[in-house]
Amino acid sequence: MERNMTRIALFAALIAALGLIPSLTLAFGVPITAQSMGVMLAGAILGAKRGALAVLLFMALVALGLPLLAGGRGGLGAFVAPTSGFFLGWPVAAFVTGLIVERLRSGPLAVTVALASIIGGIVVMYAFGIVGMSMALDKTLAECTLLVTAFIPGDIIKAVLTGLITQALARSRPAALLSRS
Amino acid sequence: MTGVELRDIGVTLAGRPVLQGVSARLEEPRVGIVGRNGSGKTTLARVIAGLVAPDAGQARIDGADMAADRRAALATVGIIFQNPDHQIIFPTVLEEIAFGLTQQGQRPRAAEAAARAMLDRFGKGHWAPAATHSLSQGQKQLLCLMAVLAMRPRVVVMDEPFSGLDIPTRLQLMRYLDGIAAQVVMITHDPGQLRGFDRILWLEGGRLIADGPPDAVLPRFEAQMREWGGLDDLAHLAG
Amino acid sequence: MISLISPVETWAHRIPAGAKLLALSALTVALFLTDRPAVLAAATLAVIALYLSAGTAFLRQGARHLRMLWPFLLLIALWHGLTGQAQAGIVIALRLLAALALANFVTMTTRLTDMIAVLTWVLSPLRRLGLPTRAVTLAIAMVLRFTPMLVENGQRLALSWRARSPRRPGWRIVVPMAALALDDADHVAEALRARGGILNDIPDGRN
Repeated sequence: MERNMTRIALFAALIAALGLIPSLTLAFGVPITAQSMGVMLAGAILGAKRGALAVLLFMALVALGLPLLAGGRGGLGAFVAPTSGFFLGWPVAAFVTGLIVERLRSGPLAVTVALASIIGGIVVMYAFGIVGMSMALDKTLAECTLLVTAFIPGDIIKAVLTGLITQALARSRPAALLSRS
Repeated sequence: MTGVELRDIGVTLAGRPVLQGVSARLEEPRVGIVGRNGSGKTTLARVIAGLVAPDAGQARIDGADMAADRRAALATVGIIFQNPDHQIIFPTVLEEIAFGLTQQGQRPRAAEAAARAMLDRFGKGHWAPAATHSLSQGQKQLLCLMAVLAMRPRVVVMDEPFSGLDIPTRLQLMRYLDGIAAQVVMITHDPGQLRGFDRILWLEGGRLIADGPPDAVLPRFEAQMREWGGLDDLAHLAG
Repeated sequence: MISLISPVETWAHRIPAGAKLLALSALTVALFLTDRPAVLAAATLAVIALYLSAGTAFLRQGARHLRMLWPFLLLIALWHGLTGQAQAGIVIALRLLAALALANFVTMTTRLTDMIAVLTWVLSPLRRLGLPTRAVTLAIAMVLRFTPMLVENGQRLALSWRARSPRRPGWRIVVPMAALALDDADHVAEALRARGGILNDIPDGRN
């Protein structure tokens, strides 16, 4: 009980920290926010339920008024911006990512996690994001999909990195991978 | 039955025996436990505080099993860890101290008042709203001490509380410790921190190899440490 | 940790958080239900007046929080300029501006403790269903406590990387950061247990 709670809390703090560390250059010298990678990691490492709870906890802190989103944003405004759909999709993204890692146990871990992150962290998250954007900007779903395609390559890189990070973590601390325990 | 009573304690972690056949009845106000890294002293601290239930034997304080009866443990024993960053749960000083008191069943308002009183007792009333993260290492350790003392435990277990602190900070904290009415069980590898203590236990390889007054145990301990210091046992991997 | 709450004490700080949140929800829904430019323009002016009532410094601070909206406003201007539907574009832009500014206003004028109190109140019915609501407030406090520490961990790990490598650490630093966070979680769980753990029958801050 205590251990589950502290892991959820520390992972929520990790998602916050990943957004606060300035200019974490991920790949090709392009600074990408590592925060949405934190969401994929939460699902992949903690598993579906705990991962989603960690993300929900992080979102609660943002709602309470803390500037924890990358770039120092936060507060209730984070829930009514044109990009809020993505944000609201986070817990589902973490849940789906975690669920796939929990269920799909054959094959190399890095590949499974990258695949799970693409489905959870990109397909599911973009579905939420595009619907939200279409509501805020009053555009059709197809139009909004076109608008966000530019961000997909960056997110695929994050999904691959999530796979590599999870594999490295599983090697250094096999017990840390709660999604597979 | 008063004091800390350890009867034939055995603990096995991950298949490796960490403590074996440790027995002692501790009634003295100041008890030190010395040993090298890996001697099992941290595990013994956790057994005394009831955080680890021994696999063999019995550990009791004032007749109660601290691992089984966590409510009794809250009122009886407090523990201070080596790294205060692992102990401080709350963002502000007042919340950190008040937490243990609400855990003991006090109403939030009463707990806050008692926490302020504890801060005043140490002359640190102005710390109440401070962010715990902004405190220095020594200040964090003092905060942990106040948070534990506020719960009025009969026994305070300290696991290497002064490691990583500079000498003046350590001396100040030790002075605070002198004024404490509770029984103190201090785990350390540094005999210098045990001046004025009443009794010393020496753990080696999970076993108690000496137990007695400081004058009898500490000189032998120091001589042995110096002798081992001449060897190269960093080469051995545990396991 | 720095929060978005305005250091300038305004009249709105004294209004109960619950009332502000309720009004915010109602007004946001209303903003999304109307399509009339006149109504939305009036709403936007009303929000600006709301900020102004707290002083010009407050208004400037509020404007800074709207920075993330500029790319979208630019996009709407371009899109609707090209398609010639200027009125629809104005409706969308005003709605975005008013809704975001209003939400930020509530955040800027409500203290963290008041927000947490509202959250605890909202969650309290769940306690009867056996959900550990106390764990939620405890977890919130822990995130506030540990976020600065994890940031510091990350910076320290990056330094130790650069002390031994000519290249920047990049994403690799996330591995030890996550490992340390999970280790810390286990230590903190022990510290929590040493002080009684999560006991559900203990009164929380509302009582």
